[in-house]
Amino acid sequence: MEHIRTPKVEQVKLLDRFSNKSVTGTLHLTATHLIFVESNSTSILHHHIASVEKLSLKTNGCPLLIQCRNFRLVHFVIPRERDCHDIYSSLLRLLRPVSYDELYAFSYNPKQNDQQREEGWQLIDLAAEFERMGVPCDQWQLTDVNREYKVCKTYPRDLYVPIMASKPIIVGSSKFRSKGRFPVLTYFYQEKKAAVCRCSQPLSGFSARCLEDEHMLQAISKANHNSRYIYVMDTRPKLNALANRAAGKGYENEDNYSNIRFQFVGIENIHVMRGSLQKLLEVVGTRSLSMTDYLVGLENSGWLRHIKAIMDAAIFLAKTVTVEGASVLVHCSDGWDRTAQVCALGSLLMDPYYRTIKGFMVLIEKDWISFGHKFADRCDQLDPDPKEVSPIFTQFLECVWQLTEQFPQAFEFSEWFLIQIHEHVHSCQFGNFLGNSQRQREDLQLKERTYSLWAHLLSEKQNYLNPVYSPSFAESHPVLEPSTQAYHFKFWRNMYHQYDRSMHPRQSILKHVLTLKDSNRELEGTVQALKTKLQKFSVSTSPLNRKEVQQEEDEEVFGEEAMEDAPAITGGERTVEGSSATENGYGELMGSFGSKNEPGAVTLEFGVARMTC
Amino acid sequence: DRSSGPRVSDTELRVYKDPSKDELPLLPEELVQDSAKDVTYICPFIGPVRGSLTVTNYRLFFRCTDREPVFGLDLPLGGLSRVEKIGAASSRGDVSYGVVCKDMRNLRFVHKEPENSLKKSVFEVLMKFAFPVSNNMSLFAFEYKQVFPENGWKVYDPLAEYKRQGLPNESWRISKVNDHYELCDSYPATLFVPVTITDEELRRVSSFRAKGRIPVLSWIHPESQAAVVRASQTMVGQNGRRCKEDEKLLQAIMDANAQSHKLFIFDARPSVNAAANKMKGGGFESEDAYQNAELVFLDIHNIHVMRESLRKLKDVVYPNIEESHWLSNLESTHWLEHIKLILAGALRIADKVESGKTSVVVHCSDGWDRTPQLTSLALIMLDSHYRTIRGFQILLEKEWLSFGHRFQQRVGHGDKNHTDADRSPIFLQFIDCVWQMTRQFPAAFEFNEYFLITILDHLYSCLFGTFLCNSEQQRLKEEVPKRTVSLWSFVNSQLEEFVNPLYVHYPSHVLFPTVGIRHLQLWVSYYIRWNPRMRPQEPVHQRYKELLAKRAELQKRVEELQREAANRMASSSSERAGSPTRSITPVQTFV
Repeated sequence: MEHIRTPKVEQVKLLDRFSNKSVTGTLHLTATHLIFVESNSTSILHHHIASVEKLSLKTNGCPLLIQCRNFRLVHFVIPRERDCHDIYSSLLRLLRPVSYDELYAFSYNPKQNDQQREEGWQLIDLAAEFERMGVPCDQWQLTDVNREYKVCKTYPRDLYVPIMASKPIIVGSSKFRSKGRFPVLTYFYQEKKAAVCRCSQPLSGFSARCLEDEHMLQAISKANHNSRYIYVMDTRPKLNALANRAAGKGYENEDNYSNIRFQFVGIENIHVMRGSLQKLLEVVGTRSLSMTDYLVGLENSGWLRHIKAIMDAAIFLAKTVTVEGASVLVHCSDGWDRTAQVCALGSLLMDPYYRTIKGFMVLIEKDWISFGHKFADRCDQLDPDPKEVSPIFTQFLECVWQLTEQFPQAFEFSEWFLIQIHEHVHSCQFGNFLGNSQRQREDLQLKERTYSLWAHLLSEKQNYLNPVYSPSFAESHPVLEPSTQAYHFKFWRNMYHQYDRSMHPRQSILKHVLTLKDSNRELEGTVQALKTKLQKFSVSTSPLNRKEVQQEEDEEVFGEEAMEDAPAITGGERTVEGSSATENGYGELMGSFGSKNEPGAVTLEFGVARMTC
Repeated sequence: DRSSGPRVSDTELRVYKDPSKDELPLLPEELVQDSAKDVTYICPFIGPVRGSLTVTNYRLFFRCTDREPVFGLDLPLGGLSRVEKIGAASSRGDVSYGVVCKDMRNLRFVHKEPENSLKKSVFEVLMKFAFPVSNNMSLFAFEYKQVFPENGWKVYDPLAEYKRQGLPNESWRISKVNDHYELCDSYPATLFVPVTITDEELRRVSSFRAKGRIPVLSWIHPESQAAVVRASQTMVGQNGRRCKEDEKLLQAIMDANAQSHKLFIFDARPSVNAAANKMKGGGFESEDAYQNAELVFLDIHNIHVMRESLRKLKDVVYPNIEESHWLSNLESTHWLEHIKLILAGALRIADKVESGKTSVVVHCSDGWDRTPQLTSLALIMLDSHYRTIRGFQILLEKEWLSFGHRFQQRVGHGDKNHTDADRSPIFLQFIDCVWQMTRQFPAAFEFNEYFLITILDHLYSCLFGTFLCNSEQQRLKEEVPKRTVSLWSFVNSQLEEFVNPLYVHYPSHVLFPTVGIRHLQLWVSYYIRWNPRMRPQEPVHQRYKELLAKRAELQKRVEELQREAANRMASSSSERAGSPTRSITPVQTFV
């Protein structure tokens, strides 16, 4: 490959982020990955690299610092400066692809035939999803107004609107909304016939009105007989919305719209969120962090406060719909960031289906991908504008994680599923998250040229199951009512430290539950096998074919994860678990005492890391 | 049946299913002392509620009468640290009373003063019975006569426990020098010391150690023979006094372990405090006097700092939490910082013993606060026996009770002097540290969180004799084991409530927890449990229990089927010779 000047460098040191340990190995640079090989290998997809930094020369070599979008931070020391410079400049070029064709998804080939690929793309069917919600129905219809993406370039083709919303109303309303994103249905709460609709801000300025837009809101209101009102949730802080008025945008004037209840929610914009995450990562990335710096830094980053704000908005949405039975229209500025967060999270609170593996994929496909969350811009996929990058989707995943912590039985998936999705939003390995809108994805012919992540994730579903998931809990708690007391919001260690192996405790409850479930499954297999055996006895007295039974048992193999760390009973021998003195938190402490730690083996691979590529 | 047991409620307000019944469940010997109607409880979460207040010789019981569902507030008087009248009576004759509790809450009541000034208000009765010691009455533990199937006073037998550790052996002997507590009145009667040291020498050492608390063995490593030894500070003073018997004793401790030619002395205090103690005649071992010994300070603060830290924590968590400054407020209490230092200290001790095969001496000033925190945590890391329910009881009986942690002073049982500077949440901190470890090793402990909370509740309740008095000697003098019930009698009679379903018994398994700040968290389900918006995490354990039950059922089914198959096989093989009879191997179990 033309950009690679030095494909291989030997005697490279990989330093551990939180201790003084390092390992020496060989660094390989390929067209798609940076691979470090020692006793086990670490590979980093170029797309995951957010920044590369060459630090000033030290006595033992030239340090190269690589920061990844999946929160991995790698610190190499390369013996010769020239090699370091070659790797550095190659990476600079490689991690800035200039055209979509250069993205990994277009060269990634999981050895599937065209039919398998197509099937993968057909897994998620949004028309079927709306049908599941009970749409179209007597009040809501499918409109073909956006068939050619003429009314709104960033919306999907298929849109659901109230029966009463005629084409002129739709078109008129779209002209009065930022980027043409007029109010459309995203979730229908069948039990109360209440709708969750989304749109962008109105171009109201200080006094402008639009009759069609007013009719549109009325049509949404009339489609729900349960409530005289519809709620309009502006997810921005009031100050931001006011500022937008000066630019000819703004928010709905309650006087112009009949029967609306207007409400600001106060979620900050993409720039604040970007800065907040940056601060968070700075704090938690500090070595020998004191308790004071940690707690105060965590608070000052504001990250958990933002998570809470999103959660509060989603709870408000879910309550209004499920308790009051009122329809809600959600928007922010363009209606593709905060709106997506709130609609998706709100739906997740209301509908247990979205808490299953398949349902969660549908939810992301609907509220994020099809409604045009700008993944390419926000996740920095292609020749980026740094002002457009923001961890909006990461925040959504974190909100879901916080919910899984409060409701361990409510979700079919474990946090590894969320982390894996996050990994692939940035990996550009699958077509799903490429581009900014449905239209752009069609232009790129992603379905013909790339593979779907959902098929890939479903094929390894076992790895992502939450062992304590209880479908009966979902039945008895269709609507989740989380608490948003500050102490319920925790730092998501497994996300932000997923590659810092030394940061994690060694025993997890989930592993134990998995092992137990596994053992139960095996027992069930044995019971089944024995039953079959007995049946055969009763049919004929011929001796049993043991091999057959054995096979049946063998089929019941569960995720390897569970087996790997299954607790072993040791005899009289003493075993040690947890951080050794040179590792981990204790190392942190030792560091502050100024003593040195001897080097030891370390692997960067942890959790889902090895499932990539 | 929980309702009949002495259970301290885990939510502030207990809802009653059948409000028509009189639901004050009196314990044996519990007597109603006074009650009053028309008392208002100012609940910080749901606002004022009216009801009746009953005071017995064991508890305060408030029963709400103006709300549905009917609920009650039920707390042992031992948990009260202060009852006071707030302000003067209002124009309507209402008087406010504040009740400060040892378990992180403050209660507030409003009550009309009796018109007849000769009649005592229910709150005056409350003040009398809440602080029996100050009023020359006995604690309820001495009245309570419930009989349990098991006698918890038999849980700890020092000789059996040391025997389990392989003691006495060629290097360590039992000394009778403190049989009648004449050497040290705050130490247990049974002491283990190096065989090379005579009782006479021990007497000399005792005059050189604060309160006579000489270095004695606490635990010995089953393989390396490295020992954990505990003591109090040396009485070095400003002039640098020395004691050759003490030096000899420490040398003997080192010599008893052939694996190492070094001895680590862990002084739990910050070095500044240790140095300051020289002014008062105390101090620490100088490395000149103690060859081959290395002194390490662990920077753990004294009882006053800890008391202040918990006081601040209480302000932060009760009743309401300031949302926007939760983390910085938590930080300002330094509670987690102290927890971290204690755990880190214990980890260093355990690591020296396990990985370094080196014997250690642990002390602070008097050796009865920070020292038991450190030794017992290190022992939990080193010895899986102490992670079982009974083993943990033995650990508390040994390291805390027999070695004279001053429970009476630190908790202030029945004493109205709430400003007493001797009070401090040292034991609570230790339990918090244990809880932190259970978070990191959810399968390593036989007991669950409820067990730890139960211990803390009965630390204050004064229902059981376990945590009464300051030393073994005092407990014997007061005949506590004869006259009171042990907490372990209660616990061990309903063990299933306290069992952690995830527990896997690994013998000889050492735990080194991480003490990184990212792993320490506030024990929300203890400190914030009174807040109705606190959401406990129990369901996972519930689910696990279900899975365990299912497995037991499946295992039974497998056995039945196997038996049936074997029978069929036998009958068929009698017809046809040579058919296979080997049955499927039983499934391995790991718990």
